[in-house]
Amino acid sequence: MPASSSDMVFSSIPFLFFFLPLCLILYYAVPFSWKNGVLLAFSLLFYAWGEPVYIVLMLFSSEVDYWVGRLMDRFGTTKGRRRFFLCCSVAVNLSLLGFFKYADFVIQMVNGVFHTSIPLLGLGLPVGISFFTFQTMSYSIDLYRREVPVEKDHLAYLTYVSMFPQLVAGPIVRFATVQQELHHRTITVEKFQSGMLRFMQGLFKKVLIANQVGALWEAIRAMEPGTASVSAAWLGAAAFTLQLYFDFSAYSDMAIGMGEMMGFSFPDNFRYPLSAVSVTDFWRRWHISLSSWFKDYVYIPLGGNRAGVGKHLRNMLIVWFLTGLWHGAAWNFVLWGLYYGVLLALEKYVWGKGLSRLPGVLQHGYTLLIVVVGFVVFVFDDMNALGLYLQSMTGLLGNDLWGAECGWYLSNYGVVLAAAVLLAFPVYPWAREKAAAWSAASESAASETAATGTAAAGSGAMLALRHGLCTAGTLAGYGLLFMLTVAYLVNDTYNPFLYFRF
Amino acid sequence: MKNMEHNGLPRGQRTGMITALALSAAILALTTGFLVTEKKGFSESENRYLASFPQFSWESVKSGDYTEALSEYASDHFPFRELFMGLKTRAELALGRREINGILIGDSDYLIEPYEKPENTEKIAGIFRNFSEKIDGMRAEGRELNLNLMLIPTAVTVLRDKLPQGAPTENQMETAETILRASGMPTIDSLEALKKQSETGQVYYRTDHHWTTYGAYAGYVEYCRALGFEPVPLEELKSSVVTDSFAGSIYAKVHDSRQPLDSITIYENPADRLTVTYEDTGETSDSLYNLDYLEKRDKYSLFLNNLHPLVTIANETAESQRELVLIKDSYANSMVPFLTRHYRRIHVLDTRYYKMGPAAYIREHPEVTDVLLLYNMNTLDTDLGVRGIY
Repeated sequence: MPASSSDMVFSSIPFLFFFLPLCLILYYAVPFSWKNGVLLAFSLLFYAWGEPVYIVLMLFSSEVDYWVGRLMDRFGTTKGRRRFFLCCSVAVNLSLLGFFKYADFVIQMVNGVFHTSIPLLGLGLPVGISFFTFQTMSYSIDLYRREVPVEKDHLAYLTYVSMFPQLVAGPIVRFATVQQELHHRTITVEKFQSGMLRFMQGLFKKVLIANQVGALWEAIRAMEPGTASVSAAWLGAAAFTLQLYFDFSAYSDMAIGMGEMMGFSFPDNFRYPLSAVSVTDFWRRWHISLSSWFKDYVYIPLGGNRAGVGKHLRNMLIVWFLTGLWHGAAWNFVLWGLYYGVLLALEKYVWGKGLSRLPGVLQHGYTLLIVVVGFVVFVFDDMNALGLYLQSMTGLLGNDLWGAECGWYLSNYGVVLAAAVLLAFPVYPWAREKAAAWSAASESAASETAATGTAAAGSGAMLALRHGLCTAGTLAGYGLLFMLTVAYLVNDTYNPFLYFRF
Repeated sequence: MKNMEHNGLPRGQRTGMITALALSAAILALTTGFLVTEKKGFSESENRYLASFPQFSWESVKSGDYTEALSEYASDHFPFRELFMGLKTRAELALGRREINGILIGDSDYLIEPYEKPENTEKIAGIFRNFSEKIDGMRAEGRELNLNLMLIPTAVTVLRDKLPQGAPTENQMETAETILRASGMPTIDSLEALKKQSETGQVYYRTDHHWTTYGAYAGYVEYCRALGFEPVPLEELKSSVVTDSFAGSIYAKVHDSRQPLDSITIYENPADRLTVTYEDTGETSDSLYNLDYLEKRDKYSLFLNNLHPLVTIANETAESQRELVLIKDSYANSMVPFLTRHYRRIHVLDTRYYKMGPAAYIREHPEVTDVLLLYNMNTLDTDLGVRGIY
């Protein structure tokens, strides 16, 4: 159940060619005191584009937290009172989330256990509800802990909650991170260019990689359960892993890039998670804003690891149960969360030390194996389908090790897959650094020769040439990828955003 | 700072700035292009109507239909749309893709539609069985009727050796056999004949989902064999290549400008004297072909003047007094020119448009001696045509 086609996604023609340019032009044109207003107006339009009704929920949630904050500030003279206000905020947000996201799940469970037949509500999941409720709660909790000052600018607070770049799929930006910037931020040419390029990188990742490997995954998934060969099942699982990573991190890149263009600095959400050397390492690199949210607002308040092994294990299981559940109202997500809870505990207490002594390639292999199998659990919310798929990965269904379809998919998607694998490792920053070093080397050589006063003209020309080459290469690369991206968008092919459903 | 330039930006950032500005300019140029260009209503190359600007209403906004329609409008009228679609195809071909927009890129420039998993097999078999029982009912009343069913396999089955290596497709003949067996009708198989025919010539268009007239001739010979007719040898017919620039329905899906186009050969029997009557418009003609369609994109429509619910073809010089009711899709349009020799009159019913029930029609026309149902396997499942058979 990816985003419905009416949602405004960043990788779409209306967004890229109308919404964003118009928003940025107006945003840059108005004086600073109006910028929050412009951003808020466009954010509401953005949300209403796909969800003209549920926008009320988002506004309600942010109003509640704004006023809870004001009241906590005004009347929160004792710890008990502050706690009361905090509970109001948390109760409202979790009720919204619980009702709209988990009601049917609970009803199904009740029906299953007590053999009742309570009808399901069939509510559509409001876009971004898991993200904005977590964002606004971060404010109430931080305020309760006196870690942020109260926000008295109503418009600024609404702007924070509804801000369209990260509204629907993160990163989860805490109020404390952007409070300063809501009131004072500088918008510079430098930020514009780096934000723009970051946005474009995200767009390319989404359209040219995530959607392509996603199509491969869909094709393999659509095969009759159990007919896929073992190799095709693994190919499918790898394709989904890559799709999820590129899709989600692309969205974060675009959000961060747009934020930067508007003078905000949002936190990084992914640091090459597929290049992790352990599960612990993976979770320091994957969806960082979510895991740090759970760490700061659940794990540490529960006592973290400072109250003995028993309590530590309990805390880990609670946090990973919740992390799983946050991703969706289905058992496979809970299973997926607990899977990581258990593995992290094992790394912490059993084989973590041993693992770190293994050769690097084994550490990578171990981590990737766990991650890929984990995402298979993640993707099937039907437990039977999940079981069948896992069995076809092991060959337990008696399926072939290698099938002709695998060759077909490899020949069709091999190049895209190879590019995806390469880019899932920090190859791009490495190449950029090399290019920069190449340019800088010539520059320092040039300045040395200039200092000694010999052949300055020749070196200057060399320098200009190298620099020109760099610029031309960058320009050509971005230009080509941009044209290809537009070509895919115009073709209007497969283009879901996976994390819209969370 | 040593790598600071006069304009205040370090070199690295100047590169970034140039790139960012170039991209911004490209976006704004395309936006402007969109706003100022004239919007077309119909796309010749895609052979479809483009989205029109949606009507605003609160209901449509609430349901999300409005914004979805806006998105479609934006993509349908995007500047250089065709160029961009071609670019995507070229890029995918370069990356080794042999399936583009759902079309298999076969050997010898064949663009081949895959066969999707059928969903209506039982329903279709039921329709045929039902029809066959009605014919039986007429026979019980003393009518003599020859009933036959032909399900024509498409290129994906006949040209299997042209498919890209490993391309996954469902088995068309399995479905065909299920339907044929359940239909209770005598059936005429054309697969082997088409395969054999493909050794000596082109039986399917490279860019279109139809069979060629050369392929249709093989189907015709099988039909004659089943009914005991002497097929007219191909050499006795007057053949003419009417176009060599036919870009068919599949071409419009792939958007590969380097794809070679097809030619269309038509056959006429000099011995026939035909009167073709389009019963819906009342027009008559002495030819089975409307060559006006050669000026248009969809040139296959020249056969039997495109689609009509009911066409009657009288042949004054036919070799017999038999009459045929042909219940069919567009595949039959290129086989009819061969059949005319054998029938005083052919009644061609396209059940996508003929809604009065072919069984009733046959009952009302006691002079009809033969009934042939002819459909191609690819559109049989999805096209609603067969539901018009009752």
